[in-house]
Amino acid sequence: MYSIETKSLSKSFGDLKAVNDISFTVQEGEIFGFLGPNGAGKSTTMMILTTLLKPTSGQALVSGYDVRANPKEVRQRIGYVQQETTVDEYLTGRENLILQARLNHIPKDEIDKNIDEVLDLIELSDKQNEAVVTYSGGMRKRLDIAGGLLHRPKVLFLDEPTVGLDIQTRRKIWEYIKKIHTEFDMTIFLTTHYMEEADQLCDRIGIIDSGKIQVIDSPENMKSAMGKEVISLVIENGEAQTKFIEELEKIQLVNKINHDNEKITIFASKGTEVIPKIFQISSDLKIKINTISLTSPTLDDVFISYTGHEIRDEGGFNRKKEHAKMKRLRA
Amino acid sequence: MSLLYDSYTIFWRELKRYKKSRSGVLIRLIQPAIWIIVIGNTFAGTQPLIQSVGFEGQYIEFMAPGVIILTAIFTSIFGGVNTLWDRRYGFMNKALTSPISRSSIALGKMSAISLIAALQASLILGIALAIGVTFPNPIMIAPIMAIVILFSLGFSGISVMVAATAKSQETFWGIINFLGMPLFMLSPALFPLELLPEWLASVAKLNPVTYTVLLVREMMTGVSEGGVPALLSIAVISVFVLIMVGLASYVFTREVNKPF
Repeated sequence: MYSIETKSLSKSFGDLKAVNDISFTVQEGEIFGFLGPNGAGKSTTMMILTTLLKPTSGQALVSGYDVRANPKEVRQRIGYVQQETTVDEYLTGRENLILQARLNHIPKDEIDKNIDEVLDLIELSDKQNEAVVTYSGGMRKRLDIAGGLLHRPKVLFLDEPTVGLDIQTRRKIWEYIKKIHTEFDMTIFLTTHYMEEADQLCDRIGIIDSGKIQVIDSPENMKSAMGKEVISLVIENGEAQTKFIEELEKIQLVNKINHDNEKITIFASKGTEVIPKIFQISSDLKIKINTISLTSPTLDDVFISYTGHEIRDEGGFNRKKEHAKMKRLRA
Repeated sequence: MSLLYDSYTIFWRELKRYKKSRSGVLIRLIQPAIWIIVIGNTFAGTQPLIQSVGFEGQYIEFMAPGVIILTAIFTSIFGGVNTLWDRRYGFMNKALTSPISRSSIALGKMSAISLIAALQASLILGIALAIGVTFPNPIMIAPIMAIVILFSLGFSGISVMVAATAKSQETFWGIINFLGMPLFMLSPALFPLELLPEWLASVAKLNPVTYTVLLVREMMTGVSEGGVPALLSIAVISVFVLIMVGLASYVFTREVNKPF
């Protein structure tokens, strides 16, 4: 049995297809991540899996139960940590966890033991009796995560677990997530738009863009499929550009080329041997190369190669799309 | 586990939040305190009007039960507003993805709101006693508070229902202000029903606030007015509360299942 299984899952808001025919499976005990820009459909998918939204069509099973037919069964088996911190500021850390424990029907005689255990795990034991209002952003997030795993769910959902946190805090949260995963052996499904986060945490990643899954694989496989090296070029714009790219594609060691006007990214298996060839072609075609660099492929490169754009380029465009979505939801 | 346990979880959380907002407790007392002190003294000269319908005491004694109910109405009808915050800031989604039922969230909120309303009302009762309102039978405080809790439960139902349906603060306050003041004014809280024009009096007779004010005033002063027996008042209040609680649970469940 899969921990999560979706079959042609779709969700529309009016004529906007937020989630468009998504099918994937997550194994038990796996850390699986959805990587994509804001508005790609990550959170919508998560809201369907956590029974907050009903799919427009298709099917989703969590821990073997259909989210539409048996939402109550699903709710008993999941933990959900939302993007925003949702802890009650006026309550103490411990009171927040007591509330969470009662909401999730932890038997009375186990509540204290479970709370002590997770407080210890996220290193908040000494602050537990202080009001959350005195906590830092990172501490609130840790408390939120603690609340999500208090009842030992089979599947833990983390929606953008480190959004808005500084880089040190982010690293710390990653450590906690890894620790949770090894100690409690639960399936973790997370969404993120940070490459590094997906790379660090996930066994497998699904790249999602405009409501569709572009590719699913392990970060390692994705990167090695790109070729061993990345050559980035900036050339002077000119008519010979198309011809230049055609010629580049003919080089044997080149796996894939992406180009965006004067910026060209070449994925190759032996970069050091490809570079002289690039110079040869450019001098034949009289194309001026402004800069050239040789690096190892990152998940960024993987993302660009599947979606055709950088993840952070999306901000402006998707804010508009998000806004349209919110308006529809309110109407 | 049971609906009762789940409702208690939400009730516990709401009361914790209330306890920690000490400034809120006082701020919410200012308005009714002004009512009882300013209006109570301004209209002191209307005593003959009150006497003409058979009420022997001071005007302030007549209107004190009205202001207690005023406190209960407004504390409870405003009380559901944090539903909107809960939906905006994620607590609602946390509760909705947990195994507790939707109606237990509504019931927990309503019972917490009505207890808080009764606490606020009892503080106003204290102020009334402090400024000289007498109480012929102090034992009556317990049943009066019971009535206030019951009555507030109905109004908290209205509040939770409106908050679950409204998508914004503006809509919520618009509807609540539209409902609250007329319900208060169309009752014998400040003046006896006998002084209202016939048509207004008959509208007032459809208002559950009317029966609550009459009942509480009778319990506080011992004077029965308007020919409404206490048992009828209790029956009207009970039916009103039952309908509101049922309707609120239904509407709340339906609304929170829609995306916010």
